[in-house]
Parts: sequence; C-alpha cells; structure tokens
Amino acid sequence: MPYVKRYKDLNTDLKVVYDDIKYELQTGKELNVVKEQDGTVNGVPFKSIFAVRESVPKALTGTLREVTVTITGMADDWLLEVHTGAWFNNMITPATGGLIIAGPLGGLAASGTAAVYAVKFERDLKNRIKEIVKKHSKKPYTEDKVETF
Amino acid sequence: MPFVRRYKDLSTNLDGLYTDIVRELQQEKDLEIVKETNGVINDVRFRSVTAIRATVPRAVTGTLREVSVTVAGDPDDWLLELHTGAWFGNMVLPGAGGFLIAGPVGTAAAAGTTTVLAVTYGRKLKNRIKELVKRHSGKKYTEEKVETFIS
Repeated sequence: MPYVKRYKDLNTDLKVVYDDIKYELQTGKELNVVKEQDGTVNGVPFKSIFAVRESVPKALTGTLREVTVTITGMADDWLLEVHTGAWFNNMITPATGGLIIAGPLGGLAASGTAAVYAVKFERDLKNRIKEIVKKHSKKPYTEDKVETF
Repeated sequence: MPFVRRYKDLSTNLDGLYTDIVRELQQEKDLEIVKETNGVINDVRFRSVTAIRATVPRAVTGTLREVSVTVAGDPDDWLLELHTGAWFGNMVLPGAGGFLIAGPVGTAAAAGTTTVLAVTYGRKLKNRIKELVKRHSGKKYTEEKVETFIS
C-alpha cells in the first residue's frame, strides 16, 4: 500500500534527504537499486528511486518485492511517496493471517524465517525517513506540518 | 492495485505464457525491464518480471511507474499476479478527476497528453494476458476455471 506525505514549512534539504534514503535502500540486504530518476515535472523538482528484491524469496506471500521512494517539490512544500510491493499480498485473509488458497499452490505461502516482509520493511523505512527528514530540516519538525494521504 | 487470478484445469504452458508476457512489456516503449526472477519456492515453480518507467514522466499523478507480473504454479493449477503502480495515485480524487493538493506541488499533477496512465495500461495488459492464457492453454478456457482475488 503506497502512502504519501506532504511536508510544509520545514526548509528541508531535499537532495540530502534523497541521498540518505538511497543509502537506506542500498544497505537493505535483500534489495538492489535498479533505477533512479531525477528531473523536473512541470517545473517542479522530482526524484524517484526504485529497488527490487535481489533473489528468489524463501517464502512468497507478503514478501517484499519492490520499493519505490519519490520526492517532489520545494524545500518548504514537498511530497514524499513510499510504495512497497509484496507478492500475493491480497491472498492473506485479513485479521486471521491465514491464506485463501490451499492445495498445490498453498506451499507458496509457507513462511521462511529469513523472509523480508513488505509490511515490516515499510514500517521500518517510514520511521527511518522521519528521522532523516528531521535531521535535514532547518525549521522545527512538528506533526502539524505533515499531512498524510 | 494488484489483482491475483487462479486458473485451474487449463493445462497451460506457463513457460510460453510467461515469455509472451515479457514480450508484451518489452514492446511498451515507456517501460524498461529491470528484473526477472525465476525459481522454485516450496516445490512450486515461480516466475516474475518487473518493468519500470524508463524516463522522468511529463506528468506525475496516476502515471504508470512500474509493472510486475508473476506466474506461479503448475499447468492445471496456477496463479497470476499483476501489479501496476502509479505515482501519487492516492492523491487523485475519486470521481472528480481532481487533485487533493494545489500550490507549488500541485503543478506536478498536471496531465501530459502522452502520459501512460497506470489504470489504462493495467486494463490493457489484463485483456492481453487473457488472450495469451487462451493461446497457451491445452484445454478450453471458461470463466468458471478462473477465480479473481482483489484486495
């Protein structure tokens, strides 16, 4: 599930925020950064980074498949989008943690102890990005300067 | 929004199907294939391809950002997952076609005439894959052999 945050009145150094987020993705043990985009869209600076899972996972359902982070805007008004994709995430039965399918395909759902789950990765990344934004903003970070979509 | 389909009793040539899906992605000029994963998970065959937009888009909101297609299973019982991602897709106001934001960031939302929108591309690819499944299946394709899971 992607999420978007809008940050206002923080005077954020967006280049450094982007570089630190890139470092986070590069140091993720299962991830490989495969694409970066840097330019302007209708006169607004835009940076996006795309990382994919390096190898065949040990488990499939809910395992992290790809991550995209995008930053667009100016120092005092900008957007952050984080998307994490997971394989067959919508086959997990809500609330029970069970799976809709069984039979020959059910084996795909078996948990591997080393699996990197998208939901956990996204939670950790979100917290890390919050620290990074605080670190690279010249004005005080307060919750009322941040809007989540 | 990803969707998953389960196909049963079709005797589908999954290698042929996957190869044709990869070819479809290769033919889309705005896409670049960045990753293919092929292996076995818990004795189940698994193939996955991810393609992403090759260049900075002219417009952002709703523009196709990435596509991933996964095929897993055996010829008579297999799953297809199709995911199309869009930049800032959740900032489009449903029904109105408008945007939640304005101001300096709002211009990033302006539509370009040549934009490939994720929703349009996803629909097109879904229809194309249906044709490919029929082509590569040894048994007759009927709707009751197909089950769709949407979150």
